[in-house]
Amino acid sequence: MLSNILSDLSLYRRLIGMQLRTQAQYKFNLLIDVGTYLFVTTMEFFGVLFYFGSFKSILGWTIGEVALLTATASFGFGLAEMIGAGIDSFDVTIRRGEFDRLLLRPVSAFIQVIGSDFRLRRLGRLTQGCIAFAIGFVLLPGFHWTPAKLLILLLGIASAAAIFVSILLMSATLCFWTVETTELFNSLTYGGREMMSYPLTIYHQLLQRFFLFVVPLAFGAYIPVCYLLDRPLPFDMPAVVAFASPLVALAFTLVAGAVWRFGVYHYQGTGS
Amino acid sequence: MTTMIEAEGLSKTFRVARRRPGLIGSLRSVFDPEVRVVPAVQDLSLNVGRGEMIGLVGPNGAGKSTTIKMLTGILVPSGGTMRVAGLNPVQQRRELASRIGVVFGQRSQLWWDLPLIDSLRLLRHLYRVPEARHSANLANLRALLELDEFMDTPVRQLSLGQRMRGDLAAALLHDPELLYLDEPTIGLDVVAKARVREFLLAINAERNVTVLLTTHDMDDVETLCPRMLIIDHGRKLYDGTVTAIRERFGGERMLIAILDPAEFAALARDGNGLPILGDLPAGVTIASADNPKIALSFRRDAIPAHELVAWLGARYRLRDVTFHEPEIEDVIRRIYEEGLLLAEAYV
Repeated sequence: MLSNILSDLSLYRRLIGMQLRTQAQYKFNLLIDVGTYLFVTTMEFFGVLFYFGSFKSILGWTIGEVALLTATASFGFGLAEMIGAGIDSFDVTIRRGEFDRLLLRPVSAFIQVIGSDFRLRRLGRLTQGCIAFAIGFVLLPGFHWTPAKLLILLLGIASAAAIFVSILLMSATLCFWTVETTELFNSLTYGGREMMSYPLTIYHQLLQRFFLFVVPLAFGAYIPVCYLLDRPLPFDMPAVVAFASPLVALAFTLVAGAVWRFGVYHYQGTGS
Repeated sequence: MTTMIEAEGLSKTFRVARRRPGLIGSLRSVFDPEVRVVPAVQDLSLNVGRGEMIGLVGPNGAGKSTTIKMLTGILVPSGGTMRVAGLNPVQQRRELASRIGVVFGQRSQLWWDLPLIDSLRLLRHLYRVPEARHSANLANLRALLELDEFMDTPVRQLSLGQRMRGDLAAALLHDPELLYLDEPTIGLDVVAKARVREFLLAINAERNVTVLLTTHDMDDVETLCPRMLIIDHGRKLYDGTVTAIRERFGGERMLIAILDPAEFAALARDGNGLPILGDLPAGVTIASADNPKIALSFRRDAIPAHELVAWLGARYRLRDVTFHEPEIEDVIRRIYEEGLLLAEAYV
């Protein structure tokens, strides 16, 4: 089982290598794309910050703290956008009838799908995330790092990326039935990222529970940042729960994986 | 193991929702879909031995692609059993995938934007082929298919013939025991077709690769496949040799005789300019005449060939005599159009 995972990862690495080589052929194009996306995401970031032009804080959160929140959500999402690009264009694969080809190979169809694209231009969003982090820490002069906090932040970003990719996967699985992606899942990805840029506590109880226990995006942004800022976690959860982010993300990805396998099985039953 | 494919009573039924026209119709279809049951393949049994080359022939929509999809594990059958290379295609799909190769005539499995060599190298990893074996195969296939001249060209810039050769190489790099070819010569020029056919005969002879070939080109079948399967309406109608089916359904044969030119010129002509041969046997007609050649078309069951030659020879001096068999194309067309075998299949 472990050797399977290792060989799948090495295959993924190779497939991505091909993608990167193809995209790097058009350097100028890439630079413009990255720059454009950086511009767009920075505008989104400023949109969040403009709120603070009129108000000093949002539910007790200052501008610097919200900047950290936005940065974390953005970073996680940016990673997912880059990695999950192949999943995003899955509807095209199905429509073109190219999925059969993937099933005819002795390797995991999922690895082939996720390895089919890697959007370097999403580096624009990651750059914006770095800028947001920088601005956040500048605005928080009293912030002290500890090894635990750094770990929590990194785990949080990784968890957010994993959860976003899983959402993309479930959206792609729907293509087996509807052939087109639906706006429903876009509201979870783009909408979710936007919502996670603000403190979770500003939302209705129901939404808070949704983003904690159904689509646990809050474990990728809000909870890690709470830990960083020594703030209490929602619903009076003990601070150590912040370390559980990866486990929560893992559980969610396993669900997405099961949905995907069910979709492939359905495809084999009905032949697209 | 000498049997490559064993299929018994395979069937596949699709449930297709009928789309009603118009806006109201679309809404109705959401809540009350009218489902049509489409039997794509019915009760198909097949036995293929290792090293055989088999042609799969049938009109469009006959169920050929569906059958191949079931045999490769892409589709789950609605009924029947099958074993390919000793494996269950659906449950052991990935293991089976490393033992088969597939070439789609109309869709390439190569990466469109990258040079051919990159695709071939990447496939080593997708099929987990050891480096040494891959290099040896690649060198061998490069030579056989003459790939060197366009190895570094991006696949999207290749001509159809070149792309097909690339696809063939890609399908054989991992030494598959069984090769499925879906219309491999479609759209190719005469030279390219000949090359592909030569190549297939060579690998079948050298590596004992079992080949299952779907095609509409009867020349493919006649050149490559000692055995042919005809599939129509989801059923297997015929499983045997090309010659046997030609004999059974090829209605008419042609006798071409070279007469003495002087005798030919002396023949009386009818209204159409064709010579009149007195008291022709029943079932024989004059197809064409072009001094000194005359072509007589005769029904197989009307008169045996040697009797017709004797009859002609008794009346005219014959310089030379040859026979023309009916085109297998025409035979197949008759079978499709007249449903010649369908009646039997339902017995």
